[in-house]
Amino acid sequence: MLKILIPTLFLLPTTWLTSSKWLWPTALTQSMLIALASLTWLNNSTDVGWATLNSYIATDPLSTPLLVLSCWLLPLMILASQNHLSSEPVNRQRMYITLLTTLQLFLILAFGATEMIMFYVMFEATLIPTLLVITRWGNQTERLNAGTYFLFYTLAGSLPLLVALLMLQNNAGTLSLLILPYTKPLLLTPFGSNIWWAACMIAFLVKMPLYGMHLWLPKAHVEAPVAGSMVLAAVLLKLGGYGMMRLMVMLEPLSKEMVYPFIVLALWGVIMTGSICLRQTDLKSLIAYSSVSHMGLVAGGILIQTPWGFTGALILMIAHGLASSALFCLANTNYERTHSRTMLLARGLQIALPLMTTWWFIASLANLALPPLPNLMGELMILTSLFNWSAWTLVLTGAGTLITAAYSLYMFLMSQRGPLPQHMLALPPSYTREHLLMALHLIPLLLIILKPALLWGWFA
Amino acid sequence: MVNFVSLAREHWVNILVPIGFVIGWYMDKQQDQKLTAFRNRSALYGRELKPGEEYTWK
Amino acid sequence: MNPFVLSILLLSLGLGTTLTFASSHWLLAWMGLEISTLAIIPLMAQHHHPRAVEATTKYFITQAAAAALILFASTTNAWITGQWDINFNLHAFPASLLTMALALKMGLAPVHFWLPEVLQGLDLTTGLILSTWQKLAPFILMCQIMPVNSSLITFLGIASTLVGGWGGLNQTQLRKILAYSSIAHLGWMVLVMQFNQQLALLALVIYIPMTFSTFMIFKTNSSTTMNTLAASWAKTPALTAITPLVLLSLGGLPPLSGFMPKWMILQELTKQDIPLTASVAALSALFSLYFYLRISYAMTLTISPNNLNATTPWRLQTTSSTLPLAISTTISAMLLPLAPATLALLSP
Repeated sequence: MLKILIPTLFLLPTTWLTSSKWLWPTALTQSMLIALASLTWLNNSTDVGWATLNSYIATDPLSTPLLVLSCWLLPLMILASQNHLSSEPVNRQRMYITLLTTLQLFLILAFGATEMIMFYVMFEATLIPTLLVITRWGNQTERLNAGTYFLFYTLAGSLPLLVALLMLQNNAGTLSLLILPYTKPLLLTPFGSNIWWAACMIAFLVKMPLYGMHLWLPKAHVEAPVAGSMVLAAVLLKLGGYGMMRLMVMLEPLSKEMVYPFIVLALWGVIMTGSICLRQTDLKSLIAYSSVSHMGLVAGGILIQTPWGFTGALILMIAHGLASSALFCLANTNYERTHSRTMLLARGLQIALPLMTTWWFIASLANLALPPLPNLMGELMILTSLFNWSAWTLVLTGAGTLITAAYSLYMFLMSQRGPLPQHMLALPPSYTREHLLMALHLIPLLLIILKPALLWGWFA
Repeated sequence: MVNFVSLAREHWVNILVPIGFVIGWYMDKQQDQKLTAFRNRSALYGRELKPGEEYTWK
Repeated sequence: MNPFVLSILLLSLGLGTTLTFASSHWLLAWMGLEISTLAIIPLMAQHHHPRAVEATTKYFITQAAAAALILFASTTNAWITGQWDINFNLHAFPASLLTMALALKMGLAPVHFWLPEVLQGLDLTTGLILSTWQKLAPFILMCQIMPVNSSLITFLGIASTLVGGWGGLNQTQLRKILAYSSIAHLGWMVLVMQFNQQLALLALVIYIPMTFSTFMIFKTNSSTTMNTLAASWAKTPALTAITPLVLLSLGGLPPLSGFMPKWMILQELTKQDIPLTASVAALSALFSLYFYLRISYAMTLTISPNNLNATTPWRLQTTSSTLPLAISTTISAMLLPLAPATLALLSP
């Protein structure tokens, strides 16, 4: 564990001490080395599941894919930000890389924590670098509003979680993830235990985000610079799913009755946010709402609490992390050329940037869950487990899949096909950097289906 | 000929992250040794006994 | 001010508080409080503009009223119980009176109204003394008379955290915001004081460097309103980058030091089986966080993307020492990993 954590820590002085000419190559290479080293976590051969243990942090089949994803994302974020930061003074560029590295540090500690309070602290700690990235490096003035929404939605959801966790600690005597599944459930009055259940879950449901508590997400995505959008979509939302899977085990007798409204809301949200995507004019907002829609499925899969539901949720989280991050990068390549997020203004790009269209094509297909991509496996497993719970959910999930396909195609056709408008005839060509960025997103996505057991979590 | 002095001056920072890796690797190893002190008993942390190794916990 | 006079005043300030710390007799404690009040009054009025004089007068009147109430309550206590000892055998009625008097002295809601008004009239250094050093003596006395009427204390605590958050929301004056932040923090301390005085002390010990950093940052930039903060990036770029951390630490956001007292206090409150109070207190911290966030926006997060192209003020050397500020900002941002050590330091 420390062999990833300490190099990440050392990345901070590296960023500040390297000469300005070598800043971006150095940061990229070193973070890529760390990401490659982190792949060793996937080789988990222990019988008990927990590996690379030390006193505070460990990996297990549930957290490993998410940890590797967070490590993988840092070089990609650095790669994606290089162009839009090139006009900034070099110290601010260093500061930006520092923030992204700190974010990775906190994310590793959050996913790796074996203690719930440590997880909570690190879960909250990711807010600060993300907030600074959104509000300092965003493009419009609305970014301040978006930052406030982001911070306060998350905090208002998660402060009750802290109290709930402390209550659990007083009752069980520990918050260690290794022991907690074997402790007695918390005994409260019926009403009190319902509140306690809600306090434990709502923090994560806000972070996911569940439909109805999702308003911060499109704002944050639209206003954030590309790296902020990438990390939000790819990893930060997954903190919510991860936390839910961790806590679900402790909430056992209560969850059976309590989950109904949330499952209904999650599945309804799949339909609703999908429909919002269908009439969306803003490219980044469309991708953001599609994240909400996919995370609704993930929330449904987790709340159903079957092995298939959990496994499907984990697979979909990873697959969606890579696919939506790729889509945000693609949206950013458009944004850097046309300086607009409006889809109407950036049409027919296939003629101008033909190779980019390939990437758009693959990313859109990943978003709509085409076989053989892992997105499909995740969605199918969640759909199946929901169907097994109640056949009527198929109405919602089936319609949701249809709508997802519809808006993914809408996004692809709108941005890539058709005649090139007159105002964009002189676009700068796509850079090798951008192709590398897309390849590093989509090749892992394509490769992972060759060994999906890596994403199966505890039920592999 | 490559000027090693200037090369070292310009690129010495690249050594930091590998150093961090080595430190982390070493500390992980130390931690593993510590955690597997009860090597014949702990289900979570235990390991296979090396040939001729003493039991620590009867 | 003449350095001799200044040193006499500062020494009396120290003497008054120390006297209160050391006393076990109510009269002596009262005397200590009075000495420190009287010593700070010339400091408050040293700039002879009307606003400062007004603030001084307001401060004098409230403190005198509070001191009179303390004297009255301790005399009543002596009358009822027949002794003057502070931490022994306090009768319930004078204990409640004393609690209210000390609340008035510290500026806890609902008797907090003087604090923002007074602080707004002072310069930042005196304001810093007022919101840190001057809180110590009443704070220690309050710790010593615990446990008193529990619902009164809980009411004071919750009201202060709420008022401290609510009051600062529409302020643009930094000193008033800091006054409300002080009210909110004292609310947290009082909330846990009836259960665990060490945690209250911990909250105070963490609050002091955070407040010190904020006051000193504003003093370095010589700004008293939010608007003027927007120019600070040209004067002190590094400090400007660190300020959001200090402010969010005041707001109690993990993983900054400000989270430590809040975490410990919430833990103690849940241990005492009052999770509802704990949740209300935790959520009331969001109000305060809002205005800290607004200051961070104004100061750091909306700075212009370009460097200055004129002669930059930050090229001029400052005469004041930057070491205290460097230490206190570090403390107020990075103490959370040392939480066990800090707790151990404060445990008896």
